[in-house]
Amino acid sequence: MKLLLSIFILLSVLLNARLISQDIEIKAEKKYGKSAKKRFISIQKDLIDKYKDANDTVKLEAVNSWVNRVKYDSDMHVYGVSDYWATLYQFVGKDRGDCEDYTITKYYILKALGVDPHKMKFTYVVYRDKHGRLLAHMVLAYLKTPHPKSKNDILILGNNNPRVLPASQRPDLIKMIKMINGDTGPKSKKWKKLEIDMQRKKL
Amino acid sequence: MTLFKQMALAVSLLILMILAAVMVQNYQTAKKDMLQSLYQMTVNNISSLSSELANNANKAVIMKSILNAAPQDKSATPDKVPAVVKSIIDAAFDSGYYKMIEFKTDTYSYKQEDNDPIEGVPAWFVKLSNLHIEPISTEVTHDWMSIGKLTVVGDVTLTYKALYKIFINLLYLFAFVSIISLIVLAVMLHFILKPLKRVKHQAEAIINNEFIIEEEEPYTTEFKEVSNAMNSMVRRVREIFKQATEALKRNKELQYNDPVTKLFNRRYLMLKLPELIELEGKVEGGVIMLLALDGAEHINQILGRQKADAFFYEFAQILKNATLINEESISARVNGTEFIIMLPNTDKENARHIAEHIQERFVELLEKNNIPQTQASLSIGLYRYKNTMTPAELLTRVDTALLHAKNAEQSNIYLYDDSDNEESLTKTQWRSLLEQSIQKHSFEFHFIPVKNIRTKELMHKFVSFDIIDQDGKRYSYNSFIAPAITLGVVSPLYLSVMEVLFNKYHAKLQHINYSIRLPKAFLEEENNFERVATLLEKQKKKVLKNLCFEIADSFALHKTATVLGYVDLFRKYGYALGIHSYTGSANDFSYLKDINPKYIKADAQFLLDQSQDAIASLQVVTNSLDIDIIATGVEEQNDVEKLQKYNIFIFQGSIADSI
Repeated sequence: MKLLLSIFILLSVLLNARLISQDIEIKAEKKYGKSAKKRFISIQKDLIDKYKDANDTVKLEAVNSWVNRVKYDSDMHVYGVSDYWATLYQFVGKDRGDCEDYTITKYYILKALGVDPHKMKFTYVVYRDKHGRLLAHMVLAYLKTPHPKSKNDILILGNNNPRVLPASQRPDLIKMIKMINGDTGPKSKKWKKLEIDMQRKKL
Repeated sequence: MTLFKQMALAVSLLILMILAAVMVQNYQTAKKDMLQSLYQMTVNNISSLSSELANNANKAVIMKSILNAAPQDKSATPDKVPAVVKSIIDAAFDSGYYKMIEFKTDTYSYKQEDNDPIEGVPAWFVKLSNLHIEPISTEVTHDWMSIGKLTVVGDVTLTYKALYKIFINLLYLFAFVSIISLIVLAVMLHFILKPLKRVKHQAEAIINNEFIIEEEEPYTTEFKEVSNAMNSMVRRVREIFKQATEALKRNKELQYNDPVTKLFNRRYLMLKLPELIELEGKVEGGVIMLLALDGAEHINQILGRQKADAFFYEFAQILKNATLINEESISARVNGTEFIIMLPNTDKENARHIAEHIQERFVELLEKNNIPQTQASLSIGLYRYKNTMTPAELLTRVDTALLHAKNAEQSNIYLYDDSDNEESLTKTQWRSLLEQSIQKHSFEFHFIPVKNIRTKELMHKFVSFDIIDQDGKRYSYNSFIAPAITLGVVSPLYLSVMEVLFNKYHAKLQHINYSIRLPKAFLEEENNFERVATLLEKQKKKVLKNLCFEIADSFALHKTATVLGYVDLFRKYGYALGIHSYTGSANDFSYLKDINPKYIKADAQFLLDQSQDAIASLQVVTNSLDIDIIATGVEEQNDVEKLQKYNIFIFQGSIADSI
């Protein structure tokens, strides 16, 4: 009896710990319609289930291209505030977001796929678009080694480029301002807020 | 409110106030420290942020020119803020704890701000602590020239959270320390104030005529003094009580004892005779025994004065031992050679046995002292008396009996019994008469007033009753009580009488105090206690709170335990207990103290026979116990005046009404 009970508790914890649960699919369908449900099922089926045994490079490519299909839109348009960090659920549910939201979603899916979160950094950069304008931008950086010595050691997952390329092949990122950790180590205010929202599965 | 409660309240308030003050102080210090460190941290951050901005100043300037050169066509709102500035500030804002970061130049300004409400802390706490932190500004300079102004406001969310945690912890600590200190306080106060409780106990004991000396000395100085004062007071009161009791005892001894034999003297016998004659028992009346010693002068000659006294003393012991079985008996020396033994409730056979026993012992005593039987002899006259006789009659008849005894050739004992000759009802007749009365309730009640002649207050009415036979003939209490006792019908008789009294006379008795006598034979029957209890329980609703039961002094003295049982029973229903036929025969008055009767009734002749001192001593005792003394059987106005001189003002009987 005791054993059964503890197994049940463990199971329920594990189920809840899953990034995409059935619960979230039902809720997403209610809030955003059938297509939203499909997107969540797709994350589970086409990414997590499919690539869980692949190597990191394959995972990065798959996740990057899947997430980049979401349409870009500013926080002001989507959330009515100048700067907002959306959860994966909000981002995929609404199917809209800005560069930070892409980064967050990629980070969480890759983490669920088993990529070491210490290797992934939220990176503030200055980006020159095709019109030559400079913009404040954010990308997800993947460090091949813990202490990279060259730009080749860093892979960039941005929403403006469908491919995962080393930083050396991204001349459009003209300046790197700062790299910050994900949900590892000490957390900033923004991160704490995001983490709580992710735990609540804010949709 | 008791002293304990007051002190406990005051001290606990004090403790709570001190704790609260410490808590507030603690909280304020924590708040100040945290704000201080937040401020310091913000200052550090702003300096690194400003230098980062300064390092990129040239780019900021370049970018500004680029922006100006390439005007926006797509964006609805042209964004003049250089991407590098935006990026730097965003990165700093996102990776740290800030409320606001603003960078202002002549041409543009960029601001990141967090206006979200504070979470994880209740709103009232935010309002209460009201943390406020000043914005910090600095000029960002590059190459001697100012390029803009940077303003940073630190975030207080963490401070609120930390303070709230401290606050909650302090609350727990406060509660814990409060409970501990209140418990310690309660225990301490309990021990400190214990002596006061004992003093209270002593004071209460004095009211109940108990004298407790507190042996244990309290630790607190003031209480020590109080306790000592209390002890000395208790000792003094006890001393007064003791002295009064002893004085009374001494008086009694002097007045009633024969110095040589320690037997009662004639005076006492005369006093007691009427009461002894009337004493109710199984046997109607009893036997009076007159013993005359012939040859006393020879005894004196042979033994000498001193040894003769010892001889008489030993003889007295013989008398005492022979009558030991009868508690109510009295042995007295009426003159130098004559002794009287009163044996109430004794039939002639028993009396004769006693006389013969005494005779034998007397002969032995003579032999022991080597006195020839020809020189000294003892003659004993016995008379079997009845309740209705007077003392004078008794003494005359027993004298006659003694004459017979002296003249008798064979034995020196003569019993004179005339009761058989008298015309009276037979046992069977008595039984049917009494049983009929019990069944038909043919009682006639008399209500005899008891008045305080000084205040004219009617104290109570004493209830007595006669029984009436079929033909309307009346039998007085004195005539039927002895047959009733002999026939063993006292209990049903009295239970029946009480029931009639309670039910039929309820209306009449409701507004006056009244008393009824419970005879010894009734009280001695153990089952009657239950019966009385049942009867009283039944009467409870009628609220006859003004009833007093009377019990004979001799019974109260010898059967104190039984009486105390009744006292408790009566008290339960609000009834009182009185003592009648008081004779002061007890050696100490502890039974009075124990029973604590409402009053004692004593025969006027007895009271008048006492010295003024003896009465005064008695009154010390009775006054201290709040007992009234009531004189009964007062017949002459003369006696009333004498008793008033003795400070006795309450009288029972018709004389009380006429004054």
